[in-house]
Amino acid sequence: MSAPLFDPTATPVGREVKIAPRPVRLDGLRIGLVENTKFNSATLLLRLADRLGRRHGMTVAQMARKRSPSHEVDDAAIAALRRQCDFVVSGIGD
Amino acid sequence: MDDPAGLIEAYFERGWTDGLPVVPPTEKAVAEMLAGAGMRGDEILGEIPGRNTVVVADKVAINAVLAGCRPEYMPVVAAAIRALCHPDFAYHGPASSTGGSAMVLIVNGPIARRIGLNSGNNAFGQGWRPNATIGRAVRLVMMNVMQARPGLLDRAALGNPGKYSFCFAENEDDHPWEPFHVARGLHVDQSAVTLYASNSLYQVYNQLAAEPEPLLRCFADALSNLGLPNVKGFNQALVVLAGEHTEVVRQSGWSRRQFQSFLVEHTRRRVADLKRAARLPGDVTSGDESSWRYLFEKPEDILIVCAGGRAGSWSACLPGWGNKWTKAVTTAIGVIQ
Repeated sequence: MSAPLFDPTATPVGREVKIAPRPVRLDGLRIGLVENTKFNSATLLLRLADRLGRRHGMTVAQMARKRSPSHEVDDAAIAALRRQCDFVVSGIGD
Repeated sequence: MDDPAGLIEAYFERGWTDGLPVVPPTEKAVAEMLAGAGMRGDEILGEIPGRNTVVVADKVAINAVLAGCRPEYMPVVAAAIRALCHPDFAYHGPASSTGGSAMVLIVNGPIARRIGLNSGNNAFGQGWRPNATIGRAVRLVMMNVMQARPGLLDRAALGNPGKYSFCFAENEDDHPWEPFHVARGLHVDQSAVTLYASNSLYQVYNQLAAEPEPLLRCFADALSNLGLPNVKGFNQALVVLAGEHTEVVRQSGWSRRQFQSFLVEHTRRRVADLKRAARLPGDVTSGDESSWRYLFEKPEDILIVCAGGRAGSWSACLPGWGNKWTKAVTTAIGVIQ
């Protein structure tokens, strides 16, 4: 009889995530920004938004600030982003 | 597969180890591990919501066997996993950061003596089974259950050797003050584990200091160097007093609060220094030469623990990971009758 292996791993618990519909055009969209408090996070995101504004006439509708890079975006901020924005850009990494 | 070496290789092949050989589990060993903490296999020890991760006792027990734990270590492992899942620890950052934190486990109370956790000579080093395997079990749970695998959800640039295991007991016998877990609000007769994330360890040497003040100036300097991870917000830090330094503090009569307050006041850098080193943005202005950036907000953010051998003029400073985004968590260890 051979000894069985014991699987020490666990897979993440299943959670249904629906992907939001992709915008069919870029012009005039409302941008949501989520900055994570790292150095230059807000600078980079605002510069990106500025470029999108000049190219596609987009505007920043909502800018959320995370409590820290370690924490998730809080529920109130997510609700506001959902209400006011067509898409969200989040960042940044190291 | 009955060949022990072949079994060990099978665990390697599946990516279920930390790079060291593991102890292949058996039904009996896993059951005994669970019994060691008085837990059912389906008991939930905690969740990491951002990872959709639920940590169930039987997986923790399997990883504890793999790590080489004895069943009587399991209450410490379980308490450490609960601390990992505590919201104050904010698991995502210290587990995933490029900073590569070690999960430092400080064990207090009767269980430390009962299971033979080392608090003395070479407390951070090799040679003691509970020290080596309890921390290893926690890291294996992070890898196997919480998906913190190097290069994937563990993005450490360098990591550090403490990521294999970093577990020690406090030396409560030679302490100048109440034990650490009592300072954290628990009863002296309780057992507890404190989980603390740190990505570096500086050994601090001072053979001449006969009073706390010169010694603490060395700690303050070590905790405010220009390469420190966090200079923007306030930090937590762990100071581990060893041997002769412990005696210097005890004989001085300084309280824990005095010790902490001195470090709050003296752990600082000039803004000009931080700007010249590009740790803060912007050009140096005249006011920056006399403007100070303090690293600690309040005394209790400096955690002081005693450990190590009685001889030697060494202590250690371990800066915390993150600007108090991640806080040390102290968890009572369940008592098994």
